[in-house]
Amino acid sequence: MINFDLIFPEIFLSLVIMFLLMIGVFKKNSERLVYNLSIISLIILFALVINLYTFEESYIFNESYKIDILSLFTKSLVLIVAIFIMISSFSYLKTQSILKIEYPILILSSILGMMVMISSNDLIVFYLGLELQSLALYVLASFKRDNILSSESGLKYFVLSALSSGLLLYGCSLVYGFSGSTNFNTISDQTFQTQYGVIFGLVFIIVGLAFKISAVPFHMWAPDVYQGSPTSVTLFFAALPKVAALTVIIRFLYTPFVNLMDQWQTILVFISIASMLFGAIAAIGQYNLKRLIAYSSISHMGYALAGLASGTNQGIQSSITYISIYLVMTLAFFSCLFMLRKKSVFYEKIEDLSGLSTNHPVLSVALLIVLFSLAGIPPLAGFFAKFYIFMAVIEQSMYFLAIVGLLSTVVAAFYYLRLIKIIYFDKPKEKFEKDHNIGLKITLAISTGILGLYFIYPGLLNNIISRILLI
Amino acid sequence: MIAHAIFFYLFSFIAIISAIMVTAARNTVHSVFFLILDFISISCLFIMIGAEFLGMIMLIVYVGAVAVLFLFVVMMLNVAQQKNQWFSSVKSSSHIPIGLLVSLVIFVELIVVVGGWKYKPDLLNSSTILIDKNISNTHSLGNVLYTDYVHLFQLSGMILLVAMIGAIVLTFRERLGVKKQSYIRQISRERKDGVQLVNVPNNKGVKIDV
Repeated sequence: MINFDLIFPEIFLSLVIMFLLMIGVFKKNSERLVYNLSIISLIILFALVINLYTFEESYIFNESYKIDILSLFTKSLVLIVAIFIMISSFSYLKTQSILKIEYPILILSSILGMMVMISSNDLIVFYLGLELQSLALYVLASFKRDNILSSESGLKYFVLSALSSGLLLYGCSLVYGFSGSTNFNTISDQTFQTQYGVIFGLVFIIVGLAFKISAVPFHMWAPDVYQGSPTSVTLFFAALPKVAALTVIIRFLYTPFVNLMDQWQTILVFISIASMLFGAIAAIGQYNLKRLIAYSSISHMGYALAGLASGTNQGIQSSITYISIYLVMTLAFFSCLFMLRKKSVFYEKIEDLSGLSTNHPVLSVALLIVLFSLAGIPPLAGFFAKFYIFMAVIEQSMYFLAIVGLLSTVVAAFYYLRLIKIIYFDKPKEKFEKDHNIGLKITLAISTGILGLYFIYPGLLNNIISRILLI
Repeated sequence: MIAHAIFFYLFSFIAIISAIMVTAARNTVHSVFFLILDFISISCLFIMIGAEFLGMIMLIVYVGAVAVLFLFVVMMLNVAQQKNQWFSSVKSSSHIPIGLLVSLVIFVELIVVVGGWKYKPDLLNSSTILIDKNISNTHSLGNVLYTDYVHLFQLSGMILLVAMIGAIVLTFRERLGVKKQSYIRQISRERKDGVQLVNVPNNKGVKIDV
C-alpha cells in the first residue's frame, strides 16, 4: 500500500490549482481573491511539507519518488521564497495591469512541477516535472503580451528551453538504453566507468540541466529573458527554477552517476569556472539592472556548481547553503527594484539609482546591504556563502577552482561597488514614490534582516543542511 | 523468414526516402506530404513488430497533428490564395503529381499491411522481440498505466491543463463593443420593451433618440 501522506503536498497543490481555476472562471473580477487564496494555500503547503520532516528517508511509487531531507529542505525553501515573491510582487502586477487570475495559477503549477522535479528518483518523473515547471514559465515570461520585449523573451525562452529539453531527453534515452532502467537507484548499480554510452548520456543530461540554471556556455538566453519579462516574473525566474534544477543536478550526480565521478567532475569544474568568470566580466558593461542581475546570477550559479564539483558531502551542503542565501539576496534585490516606482512607471536603469541616498535613505541602506552581500563582503550572509564553498573546494585540493573563484569575486565586486558609488555619491536624479505596499516592505525588511544578521546564528540554517548526507 | 525482411525493407526504404524528401523538397506543401508519408511508413513498421498500439497512436497523433501543421503552413505562408489555382492553373500544377505520388504509395502500403495481416503469426515468430501473444499491447499498457505509473499519468494531465491555460492566456482577448447574440434576451423580450406609442403633435413631428 502506498503511503499517500508522503505526496500529500503535491496532491493538495494540484487540487488547489483546479479549485482556483474554477473560482476564477465562475466568479467575476476575482483576481484579488485568487491571488490571496494562492498565497494562503502556499502557506498551508509549507506547513504540510514541514510536517513531513518527521518521516525517515522513504520512497513511493516503485522507488520513483523520493522523500528525504534534501528534497524536503529544497521544497520548503522553494515554498517559503514563493510566498514572499507572491507577497512582494502584488503591487507591481496591479500597477502594470497584468494581474489576471491565470497569473497565480501558473505560478502554482510551476511550483508543482518544481516539487515533482525535486523529489524525482526516476528519469520519467524528473522529465515530467521539468516540463510542467518550464511550460508554466514560458507563458509567464510573455505574460505582458502587448509588450514586444516580453513576447520576445517568452519566445526566446521557449525555443532555447525546448532545445535543451531535447538534449536532456536524448541523454535520458542513452542512459536508459545502456543501464536498462529509468530508476536512479538501479542506474547507479548498473553504471560503470567503461560504459561510453552512459557517459555520453551523462554529458547530454548535464548540458540540458546547465541550460536550465543558465550556466556558461549555455547562458545565452538569460539576459534577454530576464530583461524582457515582467519584473515579478524575472524575480521568479532568478530564484526558484534554479533551486529545483540545482537539486536535480545534485540528485543526478550523486545517485545514478556517482560511479562516474571522475568523468563529471571535469565537466563541472569547467562549467563552474566559465560561469564565474563570464558572469563577473560581462556584467561590467550593463546599464539595465535586470540584465545586470542576470549576469550576476550566472556567476552565482558558477559558485554553487563549484561546491558540487568537489564531490563531497561538505561540497553539497555548501552549495545548498549558497543557493539558499542567493535566494534571499535575489528577493531583497528585487524588492528594492519594485520600490523604484514613480506613478505607474518602474525604473530599471542603473542611472536611475543616481543619488538615491538623498531622497530615500532607508531604501539606499537596504540596497547597500544587498549589494555588499552579493559582492561577498563580511560579515554579511553572501560572504559566508562563498566562504563555505571555498572551504569545501580547498579541502579537496582543487586550488585552481578556488583561485579563479576568488579572482572573479574581486572582478564582480567592481560593479557592485560601482552601484553603491552611484547611489551614494552621484547627483540626485529621480524622486520615487514613498507609499509602498506593506507586503513589499515586510519582504524587504525580512530579507535584508536575514542577510545582515546571518552571522549571529548561522547554525539555524546550517543545522538542517548538515543533515543532508548523500555519499 | 523472408516475408518479414521484405516488408521491413520496403517500409524502411520508403521511410528513409520520404524523410530525405522532407528536407530536400523546395515547396513546404510537398514537405508536409512527405512527412505524412514518413509517419505512415514508420507506423507500418511498428505494426509489423506487433506494436499495434504504438503504430495506431503514431497515426492518430502525428498524422493528425501534421494535418493541423499543414493548416498552419497554409495560413501563415499565404498558400491559401493559391488553393483555388491548384487544380486549374498551369503555374502551380506541380502539386498534383507529387500529391498523387504520395497518395499512391500510401495506398500500396495500406494494401501491403492489410495483406501482411494474413501472415501476422509468421511475422511475429520471425521477429527477434519476445511478445506474449495472449495479451494485447493496449491491455498490458493499461495495466501499468493506471497502477505503477498513475502519478505520471496524472502529471501529464496537469501538463496538458497548463498548456491549455497558457494558450488561453496568450491568445484570448476580450473584445469590448462586440454585439453578441443572447437567446435568453431575445426570447424574453416583450412588446413593451421594443414598441412605444407616441402622441405625435400635428405639424411638429417627434424627436426619437434611440
